Amino acid sequence: MSELNQARNRVYQLLSALFAKEIDPNLRHELISQPAQDFWQQLATQSAFSADVKVIQEALSTLTSQADLLELAADYCGLFLVGSKHSASPYASLYTSESETTIFGEEHQQMMNYLREHQLQLTSDFAEPADHIAVILAYAGHLSLNASEQEQLQFLQRYLASWIEPFVNQVIKTDQGRFYSALARLTSAWLSSEIHWLETAS
Amino acid sequence: MNRRDFLKGLLSTSYVVISGASVLAPLSALAKSAARINDDWLTTGSHFGAFKIKRKNGVIDQVKPFDSDKYPTDMINGIRGLVYNPSRVRYPMVRLDFLLKGHQSDTTKRGDFRFVRVTWDKALGLFKDSLDQIQTNYGPSALHAGQTGWRATGQLHSSTSHMQRAVGMHGNFVKKIGDYSTGAGQTILPYILGSTEVYAQGTSWPLILEQSKTIILWANDPYKNLQVGWNAETHEAYEYLAQLKQLVKAGKIRVISIDPVATKTQNYLGCEQIYVNPQTDVPLMLAIAHELYTNDLHDKEFIEGYSLGFERFVPYLMGTDDGVEKTAKWAAAITGVNEEVIKDLAATMAGGRTQMLMGWCIQRQQHGEQPYWMAAVLATMLGQIGLPGGGISYGHHYSGIGVPSSGAAAPGGFPRNLDEGKKPLFDNNDFKGASKTIPVARWIDAILEPGKVIDANGAKVTYPDIKMMVFSGNNPWNHHQDRNRMKLAFQKLECVVTVDINWTATCRFSDIVLPACTTLERNDIDIYGSYANRGLLAMQKMVEPLFDSLSDFEIFTRFAALLGREKEYTRGMTEFDWLKKLYNDCKSANDGKFKMPEFEQFWQDGYVHFGKGKVWTRHADFRADPEINPLGTPSGLIEIFSRKIDRYNYDDCKGHPMWMEKSERSHGGPGSDKYPVWMQSCHPDKRLHSQMCESQEYRETYTVKGREPVYLNPVDAQDRGIKDGDIVRVFNDRGQLLAGAVVSDHFPRGVIRIEEGAWYGPVGDDGSVAGGANIGAICSYGDPNTLTQDIGTSKLAQACSAYTCLVNYEKFRGKVPSVSSFNGPIEVKL
Repeated sequence: MSELNQARNRVYQLLSALFAKEIDPNLRHELISQPAQDFWQQLATQSAFSADVKVIQEALSTLTSQADLLELAADYCGLFLVGSKHSASPYASLYTSESETTIFGEEHQQMMNYLREHQLQLTSDFAEPADHIAVILAYAGHLSLNASEQEQLQFLQRYLASWIEPFVNQVIKTDQGRFYSALARLTSAWLSSEIHWLETAS
Repeated sequence: MNRRDFLKGLLSTSYVVISGASVLAPLSALAKSAARINDDWLTTGSHFGAFKIKRKNGVIDQVKPFDSDKYPTDMINGIRGLVYNPSRVRYPMVRLDFLLKGHQSDTTKRGDFRFVRVTWDKALGLFKDSLDQIQTNYGPSALHAGQTGWRATGQLHSSTSHMQRAVGMHGNFVKKIGDYSTGAGQTILPYILGSTEVYAQGTSWPLILEQSKTIILWANDPYKNLQVGWNAETHEAYEYLAQLKQLVKAGKIRVISIDPVATKTQNYLGCEQIYVNPQTDVPLMLAIAHELYTNDLHDKEFIEGYSLGFERFVPYLMGTDDGVEKTAKWAAAITGVNEEVIKDLAATMAGGRTQMLMGWCIQRQQHGEQPYWMAAVLATMLGQIGLPGGGISYGHHYSGIGVPSSGAAAPGGFPRNLDEGKKPLFDNNDFKGASKTIPVARWIDAILEPGKVIDANGAKVTYPDIKMMVFSGNNPWNHHQDRNRMKLAFQKLECVVTVDINWTATCRFSDIVLPACTTLERNDIDIYGSYANRGLLAMQKMVEPLFDSLSDFEIFTRFAALLGREKEYTRGMTEFDWLKKLYNDCKSANDGKFKMPEFEQFWQDGYVHFGKGKVWTRHADFRADPEINPLGTPSGLIEIFSRKIDRYNYDDCKGHPMWMEKSERSHGGPGSDKYPVWMQSCHPDKRLHSQMCESQEYRETYTVKGREPVYLNPVDAQDRGIKDGDIVRVFNDRGQLLAGAVVSDHFPRGVIRIEEGAWYGPVGDDGSVAGGANIGAICSYGDPNTLTQDIGTSKLAQACSAYTCLVNYEKFRGKVPSVSSFNGPIEVKL
């Protein structure tokens, strides 16, 4: 099984990377490379993922100029780099509490503690709170290789399942493009499949 | 396909994401050893006071008042939110259309919020390129980098100094004169009393409490406004207000608040109120003067010895020159103040030591020079100027004026100008016949009507043709009037650059937005008490700058490096070198008078105390000998009649103070048939202008359904079917906004209050944030300057007239849009 967990880890890493920053020419090049195309194709074999993977692949294929990349970067900016609950801020803390709270709050502290327990920290060029969805996904990927299924399940339920739905809804509501809406839906579907599988397995 | 096969299939593809490298890394040795809990309480200061801060895992955790602050403001509860609010500017950003098309961008889209993140190098490079284009194509008259404001505290990182020194190294630019707070007052009073008065130290509170029999609070709410200061505020004035409350209770001092509304101060002191119709303070003052004069209660000796031109004022007062005698009866009809009340008030003021304490609101209206001038005339007629507990003050509600000064020398700041002998890169002083300095509130006029010549303070001002604006630590999309007019003006600009901590509306209407960190993310030094000069405060860095934000020092050092002038900019000194220099210079200046430890000791202690000061009486020296200690007026005397102003020959500010009708006025005045309600947009109780509106949790303690409160009279509200907590649409021909109703009998009929500093959050008819860029868009949060009038006070000061503003309001029955003020950019359809 440990080998198969490598596959799960790769999905988490990919989702994390796409939420972590805008798509630059290098990442775009990589995402449309043959190995990546194969990876997308394989993801699309699951009916829960196929529609969104198709949208993502189409969107990636239309990114042919620097201007296209900038338009997508503007989508990313409007969704994730500014604003609060009324945009689609990628921080758990803004969704998990009743009223809107401050950033770098309790959820950030808890994620920092988790990371520290697993001898991890944020990379120096990622200057975001630790409850950023990209961090949570990357950490889930780390757990997929390094933690018991029980622990993985608890983490996903506690730190991602509790807010993924309102987050995805916000992305869909705010995003006038289609790439990040599809990515958000795909992430949600991936999470569901993971939780289902971990529940069955553990 | 089962999951095992599916995962196997994924593995077989050999794809691993590389370019989007992981956001996680192994825990470094450094991070391992870092203490999780910081047990130390570090010191820092702000406009809201000084405090001690404790951190947890590198995050600000607890904030408590500084040891010596016995009256901390409630706003201390908003401090954490200043740092950790979702409105922070996190990265340098550029408006997409500007990034693609530069100075040929579609400026009608400015405000639609489509931005992209860029690196600091890219953003600063674009900033410099824009300045190059402006200086090359138009020259310095096309660049306005002088619209500056309240900044954050700190002598080293002061945003205005850094921006202007750095931009000044590149080229020359247009600057402002005056400010929005006291524009009319600071212009008229040097003619009358020889100084701005508004920013001058005043008679010490202990003397007022000891000597005054009557205190007149004229449009003045010190209990509200003393919470904040220009430097770290000590709040010592609250001790004196507490004593005053006891004296009022004991019947020893009579305090009369002359104001349309029952102020926070009035409610605190439990003092009397004389209601006056909005904008009619001058008729009331004239009637008091008439009472004093006709009952021979005026101090003829003082008028004779210390003032000039009373005889030229009397014919106006008595109506021999205009046929209108300024009697109590005449004033009663305009002011709504009963004739007998006016007579009693005049007798009371003349019947003992009377201290007049003027607020700033009444000069922030059309002809705002007049009430300040007329109040000085009244004080002169009472003959108590220069006596402890008598005379007139224009500042006892501001930054602790009236708290005795320690007398210590304050530290200097980072230089705002170029070092001596240094020239800008574009060494061009050709302003093409336009003025290099324009009245602060007339910049939108200038953008809309370049080349127009206006009168201002005895001179002619020719509006420059402004193509580019640079703002730093300043939010004119709060404090300027008439948002829809601003939108029109901004469409004419080629480039707008804003450096700020948060996504203010000014950022939204910019092309390049640069993130500055807050005061808690850098080291600095500040004066404790702007006028008291109680001590020096270390502003210790609590946390590293959040996201990709930088200190002002760092931002403009990098900018200077682009000009090849980094060394010159910093004088080869680091942040800490500068702090030491500012401290040591201050230490030298206080040598022999005030003991100061070595810098390292100061930094460790967090504070140096200069001790309590001595009491002092404003204008006592002038009163003692007006020949030796003349005022700074042309005659050296109080000028009841100003020959200088008279010679300007202005129709809206003549040789002596007088009553002039307003362009719009409630309670039967012009325009009140169409819009019957006067809107007061005073300084906020729970913010410093627009600062702290972004502090989310704190904001939620006072908003109504997420909106800024609008304070309504109970009868007026009932007439409109409005209940406390309803969402209200406030409107006039200039604009519209939504606000949350707070029904209170502190507010009279025909008057509403929306405090300025409420963040502008326009939305389109469909509720979209992007639609907020449209002219006429409704403000979803409740910024009162959506409705105010953008006219000068007069040809003298040309100051802002926010208080000359009529509106109406109704219960809002449409689909309520989300508040868009605090979001920053959101994607829109192109």
